[in-house]
Amino acid sequence: MSSLAALRNLALALACGLLAGFAQANSYEAKLPPELTSSPRMCDYAPCADVIPGADSFSERKGQPSYVEAYKTVDGQKKLLGYVMLSTDITDIPAYSGKPVVTLIGMDTSGHFAGVKVLKHSEPILLLGIPEEALIEFNNQYLGKFVGDNIEIGRSRPEENIIGLDAITGATVTVIAQNQVMMLSGGEIAKQVGILKPTIRPQAKFIDTKSAPNWQQLVEEGSVKRLIVSAEEVGLPHRDKPYIDMWFGYLNQPTVGRAILGDGPYNSLMSRLKEGDHALFMIRTDGVESFKGSGFVRGGIYDRVQVRQERDAFTFRDTDYYNLYGIAAPGAPAFNESAIFIVRSKAFSAAYPWKLVFLANKMDKATGAKTFANFDTEYWLPAAYMEGGRPTVVKPDPVWLKIWKDRIVSIVAFTALLVAIAVVYASRDTLVRRSTRKNKWPVNAFKYAGWVVSIGFVGFGLLAQPSITQVLTWFHSLLFQWKWELFLSDPFIFIFWIFIIVTVFLWGRGLFCGWACPFGSLSELLYKVGGWVGLKRFQFKVPKPLHDKLKWIKYGIFFGLLAVSMFSMGLAEKLAEVEPFKTTFLVGLFNRSWPYTLFAAGLLGLSIFTERPFCKYLCPLGAGLAMPSTFRWFGLKRKQECDTCKACAVGCGSSAIDKDGRIDQRECLLCLDCMVYYYEDHACPPLAQERKRRTKAGLPLTPIGANGYYIPIKPMPAAK
Amino acid sequence: MVNPTMPTDPVDPPYAGREGLIGRFAAEAWDHLWPWSRAGFQRQRAVQAAGVALGVAASVMWIVAAMGRLEAGAVIGWWFGWSVFEVIVRLGAKPYVKEGPWWGARYRAASVMDMICYVSFKNLLIGAVLFLSLKSFGLLTV
Repeated sequence: MSSLAALRNLALALACGLLAGFAQANSYEAKLPPELTSSPRMCDYAPCADVIPGADSFSERKGQPSYVEAYKTVDGQKKLLGYVMLSTDITDIPAYSGKPVVTLIGMDTSGHFAGVKVLKHSEPILLLGIPEEALIEFNNQYLGKFVGDNIEIGRSRPEENIIGLDAITGATVTVIAQNQVMMLSGGEIAKQVGILKPTIRPQAKFIDTKSAPNWQQLVEEGSVKRLIVSAEEVGLPHRDKPYIDMWFGYLNQPTVGRAILGDGPYNSLMSRLKEGDHALFMIRTDGVESFKGSGFVRGGIYDRVQVRQERDAFTFRDTDYYNLYGIAAPGAPAFNESAIFIVRSKAFSAAYPWKLVFLANKMDKATGAKTFANFDTEYWLPAAYMEGGRPTVVKPDPVWLKIWKDRIVSIVAFTALLVAIAVVYASRDTLVRRSTRKNKWPVNAFKYAGWVVSIGFVGFGLLAQPSITQVLTWFHSLLFQWKWELFLSDPFIFIFWIFIIVTVFLWGRGLFCGWACPFGSLSELLYKVGGWVGLKRFQFKVPKPLHDKLKWIKYGIFFGLLAVSMFSMGLAEKLAEVEPFKTTFLVGLFNRSWPYTLFAAGLLGLSIFTERPFCKYLCPLGAGLAMPSTFRWFGLKRKQECDTCKACAVGCGSSAIDKDGRIDQRECLLCLDCMVYYYEDHACPPLAQERKRRTKAGLPLTPIGANGYYIPIKPMPAAK
Repeated sequence: MVNPTMPTDPVDPPYAGREGLIGRFAAEAWDHLWPWSRAGFQRQRAVQAAGVALGVAASVMWIVAAMGRLEAGAVIGWWFGWSVFEVIVRLGAKPYVKEGPWWGARYRAASVMDMICYVSFKNLLIGAVLFLSLKSFGLLTV
């Protein structure tokens, strides 16, 4: 077989292997039937029987948020087995991709999870990095667990009544979001069907201040709040009118209620309320959408608005609605839709903060698919209107903060490592002066230590390998939806990027690429080890003219990925597999299909014989960082004599020094070898020449100045 | 004789040596925002004239976007297209980039790659500021 044919066969085999790898991810961006989210007969479009084993029939969607009942026919009678819910009917919590994981959840009649099935996800890491089975295994941990339990990601803490779940290594954000989705969805339905009892909160005791605040005062003190949703927020084209612009407030409080309704209507309303009933008013002052909903039918549920207090949700039926004919407070805006809704539950308390939630369908512009979205505004009755003021409320930490708290020791250690690397590099003048051409340990001891820690602790331990996919994600977030929570949820990558941004502008990309990148460190360490174990004679350097051509490949890859990401982030994520980082650190060389393993192992194997082939020629992240490195503030020092001297250029591992002795700051990985020469009077030719001249002339060897030359000997005037 | 202390030969922009912080700052700001020069026009009239036309079109694009009549994709496309052309225009008109600290006043001749890096980085910052401003005012559809 000719070598060309062999190459073609190898390419075909690689392509097949890659496709086999892609084929594993069967719910990634899966096309779901539109009826799944809209049809009353949800189970005609979803594998409900898979999440409630034994069920043979299902009800239509019911409740708010909706669920279906699952039955088993026994002796001709339907027996209720449990409930099935579609996560996106209940919550739109996004995972790492910024989109929700669409999950079908089954729960038995006692509130225990009976089945979980992911119908669609957009998680890039589960597309190629981690097998989708990992998410299935993660979800299987819920089976048999009670929906009312405190289930968290991490270790179990029986003393705190917390049940821990094993996370998926490398997909922490995804599983944290998935846990929230599972517990919130299960909890909502469990409360609706009476499995979980609502929290009973102490009721507020009101103070009637006998004042009559006007609308402006009510707004300023927070007794009346506003909720605005723009057209863009629900995926519609920009228009001058908002999607909805509404105001709302709590009426039971006598000062507020009288100000809004007037004395007569307030007294009348209060006389109609029973104990535990709470009246809220809502008006729409602008917008194209109704908060009551055009599809509302008598006996039905108002499906556009609900009230949430912590994990409790309160919806309104037709019997919870009263007409609101006008606002008594002077200065109130004109409105074209109004309502008084009654929360009929002792679980609700005006003493604590609550949210008015507007429920909408958000159109995905890329796919045209509608997904559930909610928009809310928090309301908390002003302290002046309650006896004793507002009670103390301890709000749970946001997810990203929990992660930071849980990993504080590692975060401190990681930050200390990065600071140490920066401090060592900032002290480079001292270190290179202590080094010689034959003994570079004053520099290398730090650099090699940095590499080892970076590979072991940062790469394999923390899985904190920066990647071009993060650059693409940030770029897209900047354009579409910036969420700090998303980036803060991976503290190590977040901190690493702060380090990268700062050091790229100070010194260029070399400090990250050459000293701190786990894969780069592994690559160069293999090269060094190869030399130490006797493979030096096989090691080679790509000839400079060829290197100068090959180095542009990485820029092509970078721009290619950026361009592809504009059209398809999913495809860009797939193509970003040109980075062997996932295979090496996140998943493991032997945990992936063979083309990936072969690719990563091939690059690492090649690294034994030539220095950093991936970093020099393929790394899109390196290319992306090289571009701003053009404008780094502080470069390496050169002397005029460097234009003809080749001493540094010959030894430059990065091949970053050209024939004129100039350093290409985009390619330089700051190994500091040339800086060792710069100050060494036995290595740097102009210095060596001067040393010999002075020695021969019997002149003293003065210290070498910052400019890389001996400090000149200035003859003192003779004493008179 | 080559100067190896800089990646390319040192050059002085027309405003080199200008005294006073405000004067220098204004000259640099103008340099970042205005890619054309008299010398550039004399060297490559067609390219520079096309550059002016495209620059006007790009400015109109931002105005249209500010009026809420352009989608994000169109804005990005226009801005990218203009950036490519700006590289060509600048290589003819202002073929230099700054070397070292941004508060310093050392300049050097720009290679094509230097200019691509400069224009892409500068326009990324300008684009991000304009893009985010329009988005925050709800004028841009994404």
